[in-house]
Amino acid sequence: MSGKRRNRTIFNAFFYSFAGFLFLYSAYLFLSNLDQLFVTEAAIKTREITDIWGEDREILNQFAGGFWKDPYFWKSLNLTLVITLITTLIATILGIPTAYALSRYRIPGKSVVEILFSSLMVMPGSVVGICLIVMFNYGPLWKLQNLLGFKFAHSIFPGMVIASLVLSFAFGMSAWKATFDSINPRFEQVARSLGSSRWRAFRTITFPLAKSGIVAGIILAWTRAMAEFSAVLFFCGTFRELPASRFSDLTKFLQMDQADWVSVAVWAQVEFGNIEYGFALAFVLVLLGGISVYVMHRIGAKGYVW
Amino acid sequence: MIEIANLNGNLGEFHLRDINLKVNKGEYLAILGPTGAGKTVLVEYIAGIYKSDKGSILVDGEDITPLYPEERNIGYVPQDYALFPNLTVKKNIAYGLEARRMPSEQINSIVSEMISRLKIEYIQHRMPLNLSGGEKQRVALGRALTTEPKLLLLDEPLSALDENLRTEMARKLRQLQRDVNGTFIHVCHSFEEASDVADRIAIMNDGTIIQIGTLKEVMEAPKNEFVARFMKSQNIFYGLSDGSTVKIGKTVLFRKNPFKGDVLVVIRPENIAIVENENNKGQNVFSGKVENAKRKPYFTEIAVDINPPFVIYSPTEKKYNKGDNIIISIPPEKIVVIEKSDS
Repeated sequence: MSGKRRNRTIFNAFFYSFAGFLFLYSAYLFLSNLDQLFVTEAAIKTREITDIWGEDREILNQFAGGFWKDPYFWKSLNLTLVITLITTLIATILGIPTAYALSRYRIPGKSVVEILFSSLMVMPGSVVGICLIVMFNYGPLWKLQNLLGFKFAHSIFPGMVIASLVLSFAFGMSAWKATFDSINPRFEQVARSLGSSRWRAFRTITFPLAKSGIVAGIILAWTRAMAEFSAVLFFCGTFRELPASRFSDLTKFLQMDQADWVSVAVWAQVEFGNIEYGFALAFVLVLLGGISVYVMHRIGAKGYVW
Repeated sequence: MIEIANLNGNLGEFHLRDINLKVNKGEYLAILGPTGAGKTVLVEYIAGIYKSDKGSILVDGEDITPLYPEERNIGYVPQDYALFPNLTVKKNIAYGLEARRMPSEQINSIVSEMISRLKIEYIQHRMPLNLSGGEKQRVALGRALTTEPKLLLLDEPLSALDENLRTEMARKLRQLQRDVNGTFIHVCHSFEEASDVADRIAIMNDGTIIQIGTLKEVMEAPKNEFVARFMKSQNIFYGLSDGSTVKIGKTVLFRKNPFKGDVLVVIRPENIAIVENENNKGQNVFSGKVENAKRKPYFTEIAVDINPPFVIYSPTEKKYNKGDNIIISIPPEKIVVIEKSDS
């Protein structure tokens, strides 16, 4: 066996064992506790925890026979998916032109904008949440809310969209900008010298070349929005215990009333001692994330989107 | 005809300064200059990629300065050819015609004719990524020429090719320009390449054009030290002129000139002859020892120690060794005297 070949074999063995270990570890983390999903008497088990806390939190343990029978679970899922979809749409519609402009044009203060977006990506959601609270409770935005007659904070729409949009937009835009940066601007310049308008040059050359990067950005924006936790919790809080009268007819019609953002619901359940329910919700979130990424990869890779 | 008058542009760190240039219809002009001279930027300004701060660009009398690139009808082939990677060769060539919304039968016939003219039938259905440098160049030319531009801008079109192919493609490029009777501006940084293709050359440095003329004019009468050095005039000296002679080092050269005082003296190495007859005592005849002799493909480069040292290109195959005594003759009319500028 030649030296090069031996090195490759060693490398492959190392790579496969490492990847295998990661896979088994992840599988173990989620699959070993699958039985927890089917616990029907969670209230009894969590009693000890509520005793220690000295508070009566039984109210949250009233589901019987598994989490899937609880309307709260389905409403939360519904709420999260609808708001994530709206957030991703807004992030895409605003983010792609912004990323293109930042990549192609000489804009004053461009580097400041880029640093701002990059720093958002490394900021904890709680910081984003507190910034939103402050931003919407003082100054012009506060006045705007007074003028409109409703408060953005602690609302499903636009509150949750605003909270999930910040990081979703930042992550999506980083992917879209990197994509446009990687496409030689000469293509468009030459296309225009051949008589194409700026829009036609973008539509026929840059856009097809950016396809997979744009899909990657949408995946990032979608998953980031769905996984948002702190910002939504800080800015919107929980909704389960609010009276039904606080929700609009549209929210009720869409089956999104008295429900929580799924990742917030996970925290709320664990906080109230209902660990099994929390785990079940977390498992669904992981499943949803995985499916979303897989579907979008398939769609993007085969070019079915356009 | 292309007329550029007083063109000025500011790109932050780089400035284009007072560009004045006329290119006649059917003329092939090469813009030469070192890296960073502003050749590509000038071409980009002409193509409309950047808007100029001042000055005008006229094509056949029409001012195109305020127009967008798509309104100018100026073909542009960048250095990397920028073939659209998502389109086949045929689609690349048809791109400009499709942008003009021509009927598809007309597009097909123009594209087929261009493909056969460039002899690229065998690659017409391939994607650009898999093409060789020469093939890419022909596709890029075809793409730019199908729209019959009033001017074709070629930014270092031969730089990606190996030396043998470069000479061949330069010849083909020149032939193509004659066939289509096009007006071409070709950017390069080698005067060998420029001499292969161009009718006239423009020497550019530091964002401005320094000299324009035929290759012979620029070689034999460089406007300043930069042009002389760029054109590889190896014998460039500072001297003192009295109007009829010029003194450089300890050597006095006979050359009538209009300057008195400090001057720059330029003598091309191929214009210095080696004299075999030792009794030759004409004007500007000097003897000296060979310091170094290198055989190049078509001549021998000899460094002779005549204070100051001169470089000579000898076309003969005669072998010269270090220390050999030789006599050289410099025809006065081949000595270029330039007034010394402060720069």
